[in-house]
Amino acid sequence: MGKFDIKIDKVGDLSKIQITGVIDEDVDFSQHKISGSGKLELDLGGVKSINSCGIREWIKWLGDAGQAPVTYLNCPKIIIDQVNMVKGFLPAQGKVASFYVPYYSESSGTEENVLFVHGKEFTDNGVNPPAEVKDKEGNVMEMDVVEDKYFRFLKKA
Amino acid sequence: MRVQLGFSIRTKILLMLTLIPLVTLSLFLVLALGIFEKDKIAYVFESSAAVSKTLSAQVGTNLNAALMTAKPMIQELVVLKHFGSVARSIFDSEGLIDSVGVYRMNNGQATLLDQIEKKNPDAQSLSSLPDLAKILQEAALSPIRLIKVPFQDDRVLIVEKVKTPEGDFYFLILALLKDQALSFRSPSNGQNYLVDRKGHVLLGYDGSEGKDLGEVMDLNFDSRLSDQKFSSGTAELKTSVGKSWLVSFTKINFGDLYVLSLVPKTEALKAGQVLLNKSILFFLLVLSVITIVSLFASGSLTQSLTALFQATKKIAGGQFDIRVQVKSNDEVGSLADSFNRMAEEVSRLMLETAEKARMEGELKTAQTVQETLFPPPFASMDGFNIAGHYEPASECGGDWWHYSRIGKKIYLWIGDATGHGAPAALITSAAKSAATIIETLDVSPAGALSLLNRAVYDVSKGRIMMTFFLGCFDQETKNFTYANASHEAPFLIKEKDGPLKKKDLIALNEVTSARLGQDRDTEYEQHSMTLEPGDRIFLYTDGLPDIQNPELRGWGEREFIKGILATNQGFPPIQKSVEDLVKIFSDYRQGTALIDDITFFMTQFEKDRP
Repeated sequence: MGKFDIKIDKVGDLSKIQITGVIDEDVDFSQHKISGSGKLELDLGGVKSINSCGIREWIKWLGDAGQAPVTYLNCPKIIIDQVNMVKGFLPAQGKVASFYVPYYSESSGTEENVLFVHGKEFTDNGVNPPAEVKDKEGNVMEMDVVEDKYFRFLKKA
Repeated sequence: MRVQLGFSIRTKILLMLTLIPLVTLSLFLVLALGIFEKDKIAYVFESSAAVSKTLSAQVGTNLNAALMTAKPMIQELVVLKHFGSVARSIFDSEGLIDSVGVYRMNNGQATLLDQIEKKNPDAQSLSSLPDLAKILQEAALSPIRLIKVPFQDDRVLIVEKVKTPEGDFYFLILALLKDQALSFRSPSNGQNYLVDRKGHVLLGYDGSEGKDLGEVMDLNFDSRLSDQKFSSGTAELKTSVGKSWLVSFTKINFGDLYVLSLVPKTEALKAGQVLLNKSILFFLLVLSVITIVSLFASGSLTQSLTALFQATKKIAGGQFDIRVQVKSNDEVGSLADSFNRMAEEVSRLMLETAEKARMEGELKTAQTVQETLFPPPFASMDGFNIAGHYEPASECGGDWWHYSRIGKKIYLWIGDATGHGAPAALITSAAKSAATIIETLDVSPAGALSLLNRAVYDVSKGRIMMTFFLGCFDQETKNFTYANASHEAPFLIKEKDGPLKKKDLIALNEVTSARLGQDRDTEYEQHSMTLEPGDRIFLYTDGLPDIQNPELRGWGEREFIKGILATNQGFPPIQKSVEDLVKIFSDYRQGTALIDDITFFMTQFEKDRP
């Protein structure tokens, strides 16, 4: 498990936030002020895990952003699972700009995360996945999620 | 506790502090006395040898002088057959000779030829010698000149045998050795003797003349002077009664005489005895001082150790609040400090252990109470079957599931409080209490969750939340209505021909709302759908896919989904599906500790029921 780390880079009214590691009850978001930001852009590609206490702290922290637009980038599966399941994990004014979709090859046992980017692999209306994802041996990989559940946040977008 | 059998530390310290100087001083004394004794003996030998040599020289000189004085008298007698004018003139003028008598032996009989002697009425004359003939016979046989002190006074008899063609003449010369006799007889540090080869005393300490020293000690001059270059020697001799003497002897160059100078060894070493006695007194004084100092020093040390010992005994007896008061700044003081810290730590640990035991007891009680919150794992309610499984990660869990039937409505409850353990269990308990009341109010799932949300919020004040799914199946309308407070969406599995696939799992995620306890005024949405006979619903908490194997590798969603599909292939009774799924993840887990509570249950709307 990686140690939690957060970097906030303010460019004008945009706060670019990069988060890595584990989000749990030990994380103290209160040290990282986001109130007053015009826009928030969170790169979550380095998040390793998040538990129920971490979710509680996360929602509380993002509540400080008020009505500022929030964009999630490079969301791993664990983040998308929370977005789908927990009301408020993605604020009402929030959008997912890109997220990873796990693929799996039953024949080779290979796992791969494919980045879906808004406007390419998905839109506000649905998913437009790649026609084929193959592993290094050329085996066709299957989407390793329950699609009905994993892409739910897009239906509600 | 071990019984103390050996010496106490104080005794050991006392013994060590007294024995070490005692042994050291004793060794020093033995060595010093040995050196002193050797030196003293050498000194005594040197002194007595000087005395014996001096006396020997004096006696030899006087005897030779007497004989030389008598020589002209002898020569005249041999010629005249009597003492003439020359002899008498010499005799009168010399004071060294007391008497001279001339004898001849005839058939063993001594015949006096002539005699001259000083007029002395108090002294015995030669003619009064009682054993004259024996003396002459002895002189005749002796290869050396015969010397005797016949009257045990200061006159020494020299028997001079003169061989002539006419036969042997025996001159008996009584020489006066007045000063020398006085030297032998006068008392001094030692005893001086003039003896012959056999040890027969001629002159000596008062009353010793005529005695035989050779009988009481092994003189044996011949062996002691085997080297003829030396005429004197020393020896330590023991008498027949065991008394040791330091003996110096010097051979007199006249006849077969020796001068012995004897010093009793005890007398010679008397100073050593005095030294020994004084040393012993000094040792006793030193030991007394050391003992007194040791008593004080060891008392201070052992007092602290005794205090520590008594304290450890009290701790062994269960009294942990004991502390030792030691003010020394040495190792014992540090030991006392360490002991006090240890005692404090033991006290603290004991209190913690007692507190922990109390809390564990309370947790056990809480676990027992919490177990009553859960329904029987299997139930069948007029064609609606339920089968479930619950396993907490610790004594008390944060998951809760429940089912109840109110009239024709069957309520399905499943929730997961933030974290797990006792705090989460308390929230589940509150949720259960609230649910017991809510389910009697005939409210919709959304309304029920709103009420439940307020209950959870009021209890936890926003610190602990719950994800929750509440479904309600109306057995009359076949409608299934559900509301979701950010809980894992259950899966609807519709019975079908052919193998079950991932796409056959329908997530019941049409609505989702905030978690219970997040906001007191949350309004919950609900969604309704119609269940068909054969439909199954799989409800679970997120602890199930998080199960880890001994390598701490998570089971994962892929295997979890596979497990659901595998255990529902062919649509066996849901009780079997649940049992099979438990077996699958138990095989993977292999007894590894859970990181979160596990809860899941399945429902089945029986197909052949109206």
